[in-house]
Order: sequence, then structure tokens, then C-alpha cells
Amino acid sequence: MSHSVLICDDAIFMRTMLGDILQQAGFDVVGEAETGSQAVEKYRELRPDLVTMDIVMPDMGGIDAVREITKLDPMAKVLMCSAMGQQALVVEAIQAGAKDFVVKPFQPSRVLEAVQRVLG
Amino acid sequence: MDTSKYAELFLTESRDNLVATNEALLRLERDPHDGEAIDAAFRAVHTIKGMAGVMGYTAVADLAHDMEALLAGARDEQRGLRNDDPPLLLEATDALEAAIEASVAGRGGDIDVSALCGRLRGWATATHAVPSTVGEFLLPQGDGLAVTVTLGRDAPLRGARAMLVLERARTLGEVTAVVPDEDALAAERFESTFAFRLRSNATPELIGDTLREAGFVESVRVAREGLTSAADAAAAAERADSAWAAGTLKAPLQRYVRIDLRRLDGLMNLMGELVIARGRLEQAVVTQPDAALHDVVGVVSRLIGDMQTGILSSRMVPVWQVFDRFPRVVRDAARSLGKELDFTIEGREIELDRALLDQIGDPLVHLLRNAIDHGIEEPHQRESAGKARTGKLILSAARDRSSVVIRVTDDGKGIDRTRMLARGQAEGIIDPARAELSDEDLLKIIAMPGFSTAERVTTLSGRGVGVDAVVSRVRSIGGSLELKTTLGKGTSITIRLPVTLAIIQALLARVGDETYALPLTHVRETLQLTPSVVRRVRGNDVLVLREEVLPLLSLRRIVELPVRDQEGSQVVVLEVADRRAGLVVDQLRGQQEIVVKPIDGARGAASCFSGATILGDGVPALILEATSLL
Repeated sequence: MSHSVLICDDAIFMRTMLGDILQQAGFDVVGEAETGSQAVEKYRELRPDLVTMDIVMPDMGGIDAVREITKLDPMAKVLMCSAMGQQALVVEAIQAGAKDFVVKPFQPSRVLEAVQRVLG
Repeated sequence: MDTSKYAELFLTESRDNLVATNEALLRLERDPHDGEAIDAAFRAVHTIKGMAGVMGYTAVADLAHDMEALLAGARDEQRGLRNDDPPLLLEATDALEAAIEASVAGRGGDIDVSALCGRLRGWATATHAVPSTVGEFLLPQGDGLAVTVTLGRDAPLRGARAMLVLERARTLGEVTAVVPDEDALAAERFESTFAFRLRSNATPELIGDTLREAGFVESVRVAREGLTSAADAAAAAERADSAWAAGTLKAPLQRYVRIDLRRLDGLMNLMGELVIARGRLEQAVVTQPDAALHDVVGVVSRLIGDMQTGILSSRMVPVWQVFDRFPRVVRDAARSLGKELDFTIEGREIELDRALLDQIGDPLVHLLRNAIDHGIEEPHQRESAGKARTGKLILSAARDRSSVVIRVTDDGKGIDRTRMLARGQAEGIIDPARAELSDEDLLKIIAMPGFSTAERVTTLSGRGVGVDAVVSRVRSIGGSLELKTTLGKGTSITIRLPVTLAIIQALLARVGDETYALPLTHVRETLQLTPSVVRRVRGNDVLVLREEVLPLLSLRRIVELPVRDQEGSQVVVLEVADRRAGLVVDQLRGQQEIVVKPIDGARGAASCFSGATILGDGVPALILEATSLL
């Protein structure tokens, strides 16, 4: 059975791209979220195996979303998507419970490696 | 901390590790991608570095560190060494050995390894882009395992990555003493390596695997403890092999106690005295009627015998302890002489008394060098002679009855008998009437003192370098030497040694009032001297034994006693290699185990005695050296 993924990003371009990379690798993209609070709602609803989480999103930021999701499910596997120069935020996200991170611009192989690490 | 008492231990242990390093590097020279050899070299150099650090031998530690970095780079990136790496590392190993010896001798300050270190470092960065921090000692203070992690150069956001590594580590135990501190790590104020203490029962392997899962981890090293206290330091030398376990490296598990050889010698001496006392005790009770006394003497005798066997076996060591440094010697000699050869060692597990093994090392180096220098031809010569371009050189050890046989065989050009015959006759060693030389005669010629320096001969086909020294050393430890050579096919030199020096079986022979001991290794048989077995040939007595004619020597003549009528005498047939002779003695007193006591300064007529012993009745006896009689 393929792993289910929830993609959270405010940019449709990024969601599409990430979705393509993951689907081509055989993952099942079960949902998308545009904001942090949406991400938390969808996680509660879908209980995906993996969440990809942009750091900067309107409404509720990615880091807060990670914190909420981890509260909801301590075993949640969240992969942060970050831009270069956001190191402090990534560190914060890790302290909030994120399991790994990838750096934009995305290279499909790097994304998949990170996903594999997170899913163990 | 006073480390001086560990110096000897350090030296012994370092020498073992140098041998291992050399051995691994030679393998790498053949195959630079041999991962096991890289691990072995890394482990050995690493151990030396760790010990040297404790001892405060900075030159040794620095050099070992840079060698290790080069090897670590190759290992962690899972690629082999470059072809040029092993020669540089071999050169560094030589320098390391020199630095170790100098440091232990208290002259460590004189050693300057900076140039070589610079080359190693330049090499590592120029050829492999190994980060300069690889292998850096970041040893955080505190309890628990010291874990050093190096991130890959290609890792984006290394600060965040380091945090992930720490998170992983926390799944195994408590993380403390992070260096650089966590804020600095998070802000990426570090190159690529950081370290911390981990309180955990996890194995180094598990820790390595777990931390690698954080991604972009180039290497993980786990040290069991920091060497922070004197107690740690004391234990460090013993646990050196396991002090650091790096990733997949596993040190072989062996349980040994190192004993100072002098202690064993002391025990052996006491044992010798005890054996002599036992002999006296046994003789003393012969006339006693008390059965209980006989019983207890019998038990004591047997126990002493068992103890003797035990002590003897504790002195036995496998020959590889000396042989394993030869591949390096051979390689260097072959290189400098432009020879190509395959060197194999056989029977490296064969055991020999430590004292003998130490004595035989140098002679073997001589013989191996000679074989390469004078035996094995240059590649083009071999090709034009229809031989394989690469020569074969074999060093073998085998057990044969109570002897150990060590043989050096080459498939080189052999020795030219015609030329040697002329040489031998010119020197007056060989009868001018002789038209042919036996192998024994050849050995006699090349073993002439100074033969090797006779340039005229060595440039022919001689293999004379130091053979006289080899022969005298081998004889001095009760061994014999044998040579076989075929022109164009090769030469083999066989050394036969007693397994141990300390206690030997001997035949006791009497002439007049004196008793002499003949080591049983050289006794083939004994017989009654009757007129039917003696002939006179050209004014000399000879022994005719089953259609074989042997020279007949007289022990009385050798020890300068008046010669008497031979009626009723006994003959001992001595045998050394292919040579045999009969030795006439007045009377045989039987066989006995004797404890050899070396005698110093044996000269002139006395050179046929290799030592002395004290017999069961407390009477001293000289030990006759058969090799010098034949």
C-alpha cells in the first residue's frame, strides 16, 4: 500500500510540483492545504503518513502548524519545506517536532531522499 | 600524570600496529579499493594516535592524525585510495616508526613531522577535497560516549541538519556537552564537524546507523570514553584496540596478557634448576627402600614435567609475529632493485620459542634481500630466459619432528657452480682436483667471512651478502643451514631450528672422566665400534655404514685427551642436514633432558661447544655442537 501524503503550501505552483514528484514516486497525495490552520484540520481528518509543510504561510505559519499537529499526534511525520536563509526557522520547526527538511529549489531526488528518511 | 611506565607497553603495542599498517598498505598498493585494508590501516593508525595522545608524544599523534585523515576520507566517502596514496602512506609509516622510537627514547622533541604532515594534508584536500576538520579531535568533557559527527559538504542548512542529528541522538539517550554549543550549531557557526557526549548503552554501530538516518552525515565516530584521568590512561593502552570504534569497524576480540619476556626467562631459569634438582632427587632416592617416598618423588617428577611443558609453551609464539614485517622489507628491496616479484609466506602459524624467533629475524631479512638482489633476475632478463616476468619468492615455516624448518625459496637464476668452484679453489677451501661442487660445498664458499664484500663474486651470481653472518647466527642457536640451487631455476635455503633453546634432549657420552652432551636433534643412531665397520682410506679412519662411507671423528681427539685403543668404544652417528659423520666415544650414558646454559666467549678449540649444562648428579657437562663438527 502506498503512503498517503498531505501537502501544505500557500503557492499552488509548489503544491503542484511537490505533488507531481511524490505521485510519480508512487505516493498517494490525499490532500492539500493552503494555510497552517487548514493543514491542522486536514491532518485531523486524513491522518496521512506524511505531511510536507511550507514554513511561511498565511493565517497560521508552518511552525505553529507542526506544533499543533505534533500535539494531535506525537508520531506525526512532518517534512519542512524551506528556502535557503531560513535556517533559524527550520531549527525552530525541528524543535517543534518536524522530522526533516528539504530546501528550495526542490530537486526531486533530494525530496524523495528526505521522504524516505522520514518514513524510515 | 606519570606515563613513563607505560612507555614500553606503548612501544610494543605500537610496533604491532605498525606491522598491521604496513601489511594493510601493501594490500592497498595492489588494490587501492580494498575496503577491509583501508579499515585495518585506519584502525591501526588510529590506535597509535590514541595512545600517543595519552603519552603526550605530539609528533607521533600529529603524524598519525594526518595519516588517519587521509584514510578516513577514503573510507567515509566509500571510495578507494588513489594509486599514489599507498606509497605516501608507507613513507609516513616509516616516519611514524622513527617518531615512535624517538619519542619513547625521550627524543621526541627532535622529531619534526610537519613537512610530512603538510604533504599528507595537502594530498588529502587536493585530491579528495576532504574537509579540513575531518578527524579533528573534538573531545567534549563529561560522562558518556564521545560522539563526533561530520556532515557532508553538500548538506544545505548544516545548522538545521546538526539539530536533526542531535534529535536522533536523543532517541538513544541523554545528549550533553555539545561542542560547539547548540546555539552555535543552529546558527551554523561550525565547519562540518561537531561533537557531543551521549549517555547511552547503544553500540557504536547502532549509534552510527541512527545518526546517519538524519541525512547528509558523512561520518560518525564513537569513543567509549574520553581519556581524562590517569586510570583511564592506564587502561587505554590495553584497550587501545577498542578505545575507538568507528562506524562499521570491529576490532578482533582476543584475550591476551602481555608478559615481559624477562619474566618468562626468569621462570625458565628456575624451571631449569628445578629439572636439575629433580634429576638429583631421583638419583638420591634410588637407594631408599621407602615405597611412599618413591611414590611422592614420582608425583613430583611428573608435575615438574607438566610445568616445564607449560612454561615452554608459554614461550612459544607464532612466526608471523616476525614474518609479518617481511612483506614490507621485500617490497622495498624489490622496488629499489627494480625487480618484480610475488612474495608469499607459508606456515605463519607455526610456533617457535620467542628467543629463537627474535634471533632468526635478521638472518631471514639477509636471506630475503639476497634472494631479491642476487637470485631473482630483472624482468627483462626473466622474459628473455623464458620465465614469467614476475619472480616468485616464498618464505615458509613448517614443523618437522622436534625442529622447525624455515625455508627461503626463489625461482631466480640459481648459483653458477663453475664460477663458484674456481672461487672456492682459489680460496683453498675446495680440493683443486675437484671438478664439481656439491650444494654443501657451495654453502661453505658463500658462507666464507667476507665473501659478500668480494665484489668480483657478488657481481657474478653470488648471493653472498652476509651469508657468513647468517650461518654463524643460525649455528649459535643450535640450528643448521642447507642450500639447494639449480642454475637458471632458483635457489632455496633451509634453516632447521630446534623448537626451543632452553631445554633439549641430549645423549650423554663419556670420554675418560668427562661427560659431554650431544643434542638429540643431530643424533641419527648409535652403534658399537667393531673392526668390521672401520676402514682406513688414505690414512684416515672411515665408518662404513650400510654401504655408506662416513668420516670417523674421535671425541678424545677433539677434547685433546690421549687417544686409546678403540676396542669397546661406541660410535654416535651425527647428522646435520645432508652431512653425516661418526663420532667415537668411550661410553654412552644414555639420554637425558638438559637445561642449556650458554657459555660466553667460546674460542678456538672450544668453538665446538654451544653451551654447558648441569647433569642430574650435579656434575657440569659441555654441550657438543654437531654442526661445527661436520
